[in-house]
Amino acid sequence: MRDATLKYLLVLPAVLVVLATAIWPLIESLRLSFTVGRLNRPGSLDQYLGFENFAWAFLYEPAFWNSVTVTAIYTVLTVALTTILALGLALLLAPGGRFRSGVQALLILPFAMSPALIGVSFRFMFNPEFGLFDAFFGVMIPPLADVSWLADPVLAFAVCVMADVWGWIPFLTLVLIGGLASIPQDTIEAAQVDGASGWRVFRDVTLPQLAPVLGVVVILKSIFSLKTFDQIFMLTNGGPGTATQTLSHYIYFNGMKYGQIGYAASVAWLMVIPMIFLTYAYARFVFRRP
Amino acid sequence: MAEVVLRNLTKRWGDFVGVDNQSLEIRDREFLVLLGPSGCGKTTTMRMIAGLEEPTGGEIWIGDRQVNDDLPKDRDVAMVFQNYGLYPHMTVYDNIAYPLKVRGTPRSEIRHRVEAAATKVELAQFLDRKPRALSGGQRQRVALARAIVRTPKVFLMDEPLSNLDAKLRVTMRAELKHLSRELMITTIYVTHDQIEAMTLADRVAVMKSGIIQQLGTPDEIYNNPANLFVAGFIGSPPMNLITGSIRDGMFVTSGGIRLVPVDSADRQEVVLGVRPDDVRVSEEGQGDIDVRIYAFENTGEATLLTVQWGHQRVIARGDRHLRKDQDDCVSISLMADHLHLFDPQSGVRIAS
Repeated sequence: MRDATLKYLLVLPAVLVVLATAIWPLIESLRLSFTVGRLNRPGSLDQYLGFENFAWAFLYEPAFWNSVTVTAIYTVLTVALTTILALGLALLLAPGGRFRSGVQALLILPFAMSPALIGVSFRFMFNPEFGLFDAFFGVMIPPLADVSWLADPVLAFAVCVMADVWGWIPFLTLVLIGGLASIPQDTIEAAQVDGASGWRVFRDVTLPQLAPVLGVVVILKSIFSLKTFDQIFMLTNGGPGTATQTLSHYIYFNGMKYGQIGYAASVAWLMVIPMIFLTYAYARFVFRRP
Repeated sequence: MAEVVLRNLTKRWGDFVGVDNQSLEIRDREFLVLLGPSGCGKTTTMRMIAGLEEPTGGEIWIGDRQVNDDLPKDRDVAMVFQNYGLYPHMTVYDNIAYPLKVRGTPRSEIRHRVEAAATKVELAQFLDRKPRALSGGQRQRVALARAIVRTPKVFLMDEPLSNLDAKLRVTMRAELKHLSRELMITTIYVTHDQIEAMTLADRVAVMKSGIIQQLGTPDEIYNNPANLFVAGFIGSPPMNLITGSIRDGMFVTSGGIRLVPVDSADRQEVVLGVRPDDVRVSEEGQGDIDVRIYAFENTGEATLLTVQWGHQRVIARGDRHLRKDQDDCVSISLMADHLHLFDPQSGVRIAS
């Protein structure tokens, strides 16, 4: 067989798998977003509505806007907190930093846990009857002993953010340690000899050279924060009320629970818009020419 | 302007001794070169002076101040790094201006001084470029300009020419020498290249295994090496070292050949050192000893003859017009007033 033909045949299985599991569902969901799409109503999957689903979300669904707000705040908070904390840890753990070796191995543990598992663990830890935090606060800070963390809208949201930050710090720290390690040591030493204080070395020399890696970290984490689902699902299931209902959770509820698959698909496609921007920015960062 | 004094300076990493209890006084406005093979402790010594490495023991004085506990930024030194250490995200202008900027120098003065420094190293037309758009030699000049843009107490240069190609190195060497004469600032320069050491230094400290083997002017180091290590390290091709003994005022090789009269008491074991330039080559029968040519090399500016008798090989530098061939016979004589005698056990020079 000619090489020219063979090479296409060899990648064909992979292409078919991608078509079946990614491309086809994508196209199908786009089609569904323009239909009535009720799971309990036969034929409605082929009943086209035009842009009515999208209009409905924007005009008549406070719950949609609530989940947009929740997702936005959640994303901003988790991205900012995770990045800042991970950067601090990376500076301490990087070659030449103050703590290293064993700590680095320990650090990866939270990232090794699945988000759903993190959700379940945090739900138990914040349980008002027998949770770890309940016992802890009961002893350490008595006024906080009887707080029902997950029953209060603001506190529940804070717990969600905290669980996410906790789970993501290790990975981002490792990425940033790699980024720090690739900064030529002599540029940092040159700045020290040139008369810069520790903070100015960081601001003028370390940070600008770390910027590309930091950019990738922020974008990647934004993408993951935007589509957060499993952890929220296990931790609060969007509650209390809809206080922690992210867009993914809202889509899941409408599609799977209420059977409004067409409407859910249209909201999912609305979520694609910010994702496209982020992915484009990510690609720019990763594949840009030096 | 300041002198630099090291007192019993030591650096250890676990069991490894980088610098071993060394004391050294570098005079005000002196150009001192730390010379030695890799791993000899020369860079470590310099990094301790800069404050980038913490000494295990001993004192470092810059001027009348002990700086052991001072951060690099408070030591008022400027350093040129082997890989230049330029800030890749800043323009040439910003690179050179950085030491002034962090010291809060007024903007107009910064501009004035950066331009002066850039002109001095012939970079004035590259101020807007980023370092990556410069050649190796130009980057080296930026690093130099960044060091001279202010007037530090001490210049530290860590193998600044070693990343340049051979031709550029010669040019930059001359420029460095010119610049250092012009600025007259105490300079400590680390290199493994003996030509750089010989040409640039007021004094050279030859180091090995964390210990200064000899401290002296280039002339002293070349003409009166203190021990076998210095004798073998300085000079290209290196000094010939011939083992033998001294009997009745004559140096006798281990093979029993009475080679040359020496001005020293009789000794059982001795190493005779003679530089290739001090071995005179003449036609067969006209010198002290007839030998066979093992290899003949013409470098253009001179000829190098490796000659052999028994197991002993000696390199002689001949006239550039000399033409011989392998296995030809010539005669050599050693110039009696340019011989060096060393103790083979301790390696120390024997006073003659």
